[in-house]
Amino acid sequence: MLTVDRRTFVKASAMAAAAAAASGSNRVLTVLNNQPEGSPLKWQKAPCRFCGTGCHVMVGTENGRVVAIQGDQKAEVNKGLLCVKGYHVGLALYGKDRLTTPMLRKNGKMVPISWEESIETIASKIMANPKGFALYGSGQWTIGEGFAGNKLMKAGLGSNQIDGNPRLCMSSAVTGFLSTFGVDEPPGVYDDIDKCDVAIMWGNNMAEMHPVLFSRLVDRRTRGEKVTIIDMTTRRTRTSDLADHVLYFKPHGDLAIANGIAHLMVKGDKYDKDFVAKHCNFRALGPKPDEKSPPDMLGVPMTFEEFAAAVEPYTPEKVEELSGVPADKIRMLGELFMRRDIRINSFWCMGMNQHTRGTAINCIVHGIHLMSGHFGKPGDAATSLTGQPSACGTVREVGTLCHLLPGGRLVANAEHRKEAEELWNVPEGRISAKPGYHTVEMFKRFNTPTDQGGDITTMWVQVTNPGQTLPNLNRNFRAKQNLADKFMIVSDVYPTATTELADLILPSAMWVEKNGMYGNSERRTQQWFKMVSPPGEARDDCWQLLAVSRRLMDLGVEGMKGKDGKWIFHTADKSGKEVPIWDWAHYYDVNVDERLFEEYRPFSTKKHKNLAPYQEYVHARGLRWPVVEQPDGSWRETRWRFSEFDDPFVAKGKGFQFYHSVSKDDKALIWFRPHEHPPEMPDNEYPFWLCTGRVLEHWHSGSMTRRIPQLHRAMPKAYVEMNKADATKLGIRNNEVVTVKSRRGEIDLPVWIGGRGDPKPGEVFVPFFDEGKLINLVTLDEYDPYSKQPDYKKCAVTIARKG
Amino acid sequence: MQTKTARFRVQVEWVWIGVLAAGAGVVAASVFGSQPQTPASTVASMPVPASPSATPAIMPGDRASQSLPWRLNNPAPNLVLERRANPAAVVDKFAARVRSMEQRATLRAYEGAPPVIPHAIADLNIQSCRACHAQGLHAGDKVARMVSHTYLTNCTQCHVEAAGPLLGTDAAPPNSFHGFRSSGYGGTRAWAGAPPVMPHTTFMRTNCVSCHGEHGYDGWRPDHLSRTNCVQCHVPAAEFEQLAPTFGIPDVADGQSPAARP
Repeated sequence: MLTVDRRTFVKASAMAAAAAAASGSNRVLTVLNNQPEGSPLKWQKAPCRFCGTGCHVMVGTENGRVVAIQGDQKAEVNKGLLCVKGYHVGLALYGKDRLTTPMLRKNGKMVPISWEESIETIASKIMANPKGFALYGSGQWTIGEGFAGNKLMKAGLGSNQIDGNPRLCMSSAVTGFLSTFGVDEPPGVYDDIDKCDVAIMWGNNMAEMHPVLFSRLVDRRTRGEKVTIIDMTTRRTRTSDLADHVLYFKPHGDLAIANGIAHLMVKGDKYDKDFVAKHCNFRALGPKPDEKSPPDMLGVPMTFEEFAAAVEPYTPEKVEELSGVPADKIRMLGELFMRRDIRINSFWCMGMNQHTRGTAINCIVHGIHLMSGHFGKPGDAATSLTGQPSACGTVREVGTLCHLLPGGRLVANAEHRKEAEELWNVPEGRISAKPGYHTVEMFKRFNTPTDQGGDITTMWVQVTNPGQTLPNLNRNFRAKQNLADKFMIVSDVYPTATTELADLILPSAMWVEKNGMYGNSERRTQQWFKMVSPPGEARDDCWQLLAVSRRLMDLGVEGMKGKDGKWIFHTADKSGKEVPIWDWAHYYDVNVDERLFEEYRPFSTKKHKNLAPYQEYVHARGLRWPVVEQPDGSWRETRWRFSEFDDPFVAKGKGFQFYHSVSKDDKALIWFRPHEHPPEMPDNEYPFWLCTGRVLEHWHSGSMTRRIPQLHRAMPKAYVEMNKADATKLGIRNNEVVTVKSRRGEIDLPVWIGGRGDPKPGEVFVPFFDEGKLINLVTLDEYDPYSKQPDYKKCAVTIARKG
Repeated sequence: MQTKTARFRVQVEWVWIGVLAAGAGVVAASVFGSQPQTPASTVASMPVPASPSATPAIMPGDRASQSLPWRLNNPAPNLVLERRANPAAVVDKFAARVRSMEQRATLRAYEGAPPVIPHAIADLNIQSCRACHAQGLHAGDKVARMVSHTYLTNCTQCHVEAAGPLLGTDAAPPNSFHGFRSSGYGGTRAWAGAPPVMPHTTFMRTNCVSCHGEHGYDGWRPDHLSRTNCVQCHVPAAEFEQLAPTFGIPDVADGQSPAARP
């Protein structure tokens, strides 16, 4: 049927050769001719550009371009496997519409300008109103970039108006760790995935959001191991498909479920009494300081009896009423936690974090793990998964949030400020004691007329896309376009919903076009080298920050000088001669990343987040902190924090030691936090719950993955998932375009019934990757009072047929 | 459509994609629904020619009688039918090699990328992938290749549809990436008659018959299928194998970036 004659073959070969010649490629489809010796491919390691899993990839380059990707077999995280985004990460560099030249809005039009003019423009905007200047960064900032931005703002300008998008993504996980352990970031590691007997997904579609880790779990079954997966969810997802138990709960019902588990452990008198007596205190929220403010995040002590009385109402039947999960399933969960012979690993991501009670649910889940003793042994862990490659490494550890300083320090703490000023070698009093605005507040102020309290006038956005990802975009992002005195600078690699409203656009280098370091979800710090050049005039984000800092110094801003009178980013070569790293032509004369990392390292020891020297990371597939030097000069990473068998900072004989304990007695806190209703719930006018989220193929706002043909073609546009029963009731057919409308905004979307996911009746789901369908015009900007993280998972909408 | 399908199977497959994409869900159901659920019985229903030398200990029928966990945990045996495997059965093996290489490339961004799925999927049950791909099958002019790696549960983690159900007439976004393509085996022999070196990695490609066996590619089937220990004579090219001593160690001088300076 499909015969190929000699003529066709000759033609095919000739075409291949001609095509190769035309594209300037030396990759000719040789069939029988002799191939030149060796391969032109060069392979180097890098962490993947996308999520917080922190897979390592091998990047194949040829003639200055990325041409292939392999999973890194030497990497412990992914052991050679990647997800479809990771396999195609190299293509993210080559979308045809890469930004390649700086552009300034002049008379309403974007016109190309020089880098000199760009830097000058930023410097003059900052100098015109330093207090009104805000820097908005990202969990995709490399450690060096975040450190430079933080120092520029806090030690240079003496301003704390710097925040980052992890505020939208994982700050409730941070407040959960701080409230429970007194120090941020997970005690456990991914090794727990290999050891657990039971894996509980708390509103977490791991199969699509952290597919490599999910495979690490489910592929154990292929090897004959038994692992029970319990999927607690509001809609059927790909994770449900591989779960042993799928427990559907009503939005916000997770608080009731977790309290119900605590109730059963108390009632059954089967919590881990020895562990609790030795290592835990009970804690409750204290009184409110006034009407408007929430109670203190660190709370007040409570006795076990008080705790028992507090969880008393959460009987399985009551929990069923609040959450919709059958009482016998709540009992099943309780019984699992009461067993001592199994290992339980909880996983969560945005379901628990993007939650107006995010801190509360994080605390309760840690609490039930502590109470049951399912803590600190391989396989017994509460694992918070992160969405961005360096939300942990950069934003949480370097502290690029409005209230933090590097290494877990607070701007409001005088001792912490003093330490930071000493390490940064800037005069005492340079760092402001007043926290800046958190993300939603920062953008609200930027989108409010200056004379009406909108005291942020210039914003610089780097490596993120708030024009798509902020909640309630009409209010928090798009109002700016009518305000003449507001100026927005955006550093990015592609045109986005954010650059659309920018006044100055700076083209950036991305991923392996620059040196970088990331830190993943399991405290693993990773390093890579620049492999290819950025296109056109695109330059490193870090260089952009440094160039502005230098320009400010030249213009006489005293803050840009340290105590020694030198520039705060003064950099010298081995001979001690200054290297002009503010000059792009000399930026790569030294390794600026190494220079900044070595300045940052001493900050890391205060909270026992010790980092190794830069060179150690060059030869490792990442190292998990605390990394401690051994007598033989080698560096040892730590897997299980607070556990004596692995954590070098735990005193001998203690078993466990929470050495940054809130209660200052080496004990962790088991919190009681009540179930409360969310701020907006469906009613007659807006009868549906709206949940938003991600899909496998696209990474967050899709600015990179939507330029990759394989990913785009698989998942080209947003949709609204609806339950078949609701659709039938409303007479809506599959693929019909409907209007999704809330009190804040509306968009039109095609309906997908029985598609990738399947919500329960009364609920709809919309992914947020599609910049053509901005679901955040519809979402609610209510946030958790402690973490200030908005709830993208719950608001009330109506679904209307068109015409 | 008729004129385009004449010569290259590549094009046949792309037309097929178009047809399936048009009626995604329905077609997916028919593809999976109309085939017997156990791949073993599909193979068993094919005409089986006289088997080469040793009859495998486990024949298709035996596999079907095994429990599901057993089948999931035991890779399929080398079920290659001698008649189809004989290179002489391919009219022009040199042309077939080129065509196979091109056909394979259409589904991959670069050599080593996981292939996209050239048909609609039901997206409900991962076992439906295994129905055809666990052991591979031919159905008319279509072929489902056997998976090239050990069983990994979450298929759609790496393999996505070439044309998703929502695609419609959307064009692919313009992208100037040029993926690495393997040069094929022609240049990898030390001398005429020497066993060729594999022009690819063996990581995730441990099941040689996936591409080189019954449901593999025309022109890629060896003439000595009675031999089952492939890696005895064929070794992976060093540049692909991460176990090679020089592989992946950054080229570093004095802690500097190895990349060319701008």
